[in-house]
Formats: sequence, C-alpha cells, structure tokens
Amino acid sequence: MGDLFGTLAASASGMQAQALRLRYVSENIANADTPGFRRKTAAFEEVFGGGEKTGLVELGPVELDKTELVSIYDPGHPLADTTGHYDGSNVDLVIEIADAREAQRSYEANLKMFDQARQMSASLLDLLRK
Amino acid sequence: MFERLEISKRAYALASFAMTRQAAVSANVANADTPGYKAVDTPDFAAAYQDGAGLEPRATRNSHLARPNAEQTFEIAASRQPGNESPNGNTVSLETEMLKGADLRQSYDMALAIAKSTSSILRASLGRR
Repeated sequence: MGDLFGTLAASASGMQAQALRLRYVSENIANADTPGFRRKTAAFEEVFGGGEKTGLVELGPVELDKTELVSIYDPGHPLADTTGHYDGSNVDLVIEIADAREAQRSYEANLKMFDQARQMSASLLDLLRK
Repeated sequence: MFERLEISKRAYALASFAMTRQAAVSANVANADTPGYKAVDTPDFAAAYQDGAGLEPRATRNSHLARPNAEQTFEIAASRQPGNESPNGNTVSLETEMLKGADLRQSYDMALAIAKSTSSILRASLGRR
C-alpha cells in the first residue's frame, strides 16, 4: 500500500510540473509581441529526498532564452532608434505550440497513470469490504 | 494453516509485484521530459519470484518459530532500453510505459481475482456466504 501513495505522488508531481510548463508557454505566447521580451524556459528536474531518488519531478528555476531579440523595422514606433529599428521579442510561436502539445501529451499520460493507481487501490479496498 | 496457502501467497506476491511496477512506471511517466533521466523497471515476475518451497523449515509444533517475515519484495532498478534515448539523454518511451501499465493492470486484476476466489472457498468451508 505504501508503494501506491508514492505512485500517486509521482503522477501528481508530473501533472503539476506539466501544468506549470504550460503556464510558461502561455506567458510566452501572450508576450510574443512585447518589445524586449525574452521567452521563459524551465527544465524538468528529478526530486531527491535524503540522497535517494523519489520518482517525483519538479520544474527547475525559470531561465530566459538568450537568443538574439528580433530587430523590427518600424520608424513610427515609440521605441524605434535612429535607424528606425526596435527590439521585438524572441518568442517563436511554432516552438511554443509544439511545447504546449508535448506538455499536454505528457500531462494526459500522467493523468492516466494516476487514474490507474487510484483504481488499483479502489479494487483492493473492494476486496477487503466483502 | 490457511495463511500459508501457496496459491494465495503467490497471488499476493503478484499483486505486490504489480504495485511495485506501477510505481516504476509512474516515476518514468512523471519524468518523461526530464533531461538525463534513465528509465527504471522491475525484473520479470517469473525471474523475480522466489519460490520458497524446498528450503523452508517446517513448523511442526506450536513452539517452533515460523519463518520470519517471508514477504517477498521486488526491486526497482535502472533498465536499459537501447535506441530509446532522446537527444537530451532521457530514455523514457511513453508508448512502452503505457504498454507496461496495461500489462501490470491485467496481472494485478488477475491476482485480486484469485485472492477473491480463494477467500470465497474458505468462506464456503466455514459455512458462510
């Protein structure tokens, strides 16, 4: 039985991490046209407890994408410099959409595992009830 | 007498094996996007299950000590799945994990069904329904 709660915790941590990742993706997409915005990325990390693997996962600290900002030519823009260019954001919508899809797929896999572990414990309790 | 029935012991071992494997599968799925994560798994049930028969001392009197805690545990260890590694060093394949999940669910249900029918036989022998 002790195993089972660890299983549920692992799946729940996976769902939480994927949901947070999806949040960063939507922040990036929302700011795709914000001048000077750098896209946020975060890497997944294993959680260690007492020097041992726990099977849980968490999202690491947010980092900003260091690729060059896109230079946009628009002399009428308030931020434009003397040559008529200003720095846009470095968000690539295609990458963000692909990332969102992957997050969704992984989230669903975690949800399925969570549901299965829950059903397994329920059927065990069913056996005891009789 | 009845708690040492071989069939229920084996069913219990199979159920506990399925739960251990579920823990491994869940950890893999949770870490499906973690860079550098190596997938874990349990060995096959047939390979891991230790049949105690033969070497087990018999308790023929009440004063004999029973075998201490004969409960079987299963180990989770890193598994090698060549060809699955993605560029970031992660070796989890979601498809394989789903397959393992369905497989262990089947084993688990079978183990519980056996346990249930064993207990109903015992109940019948006690004259209850």
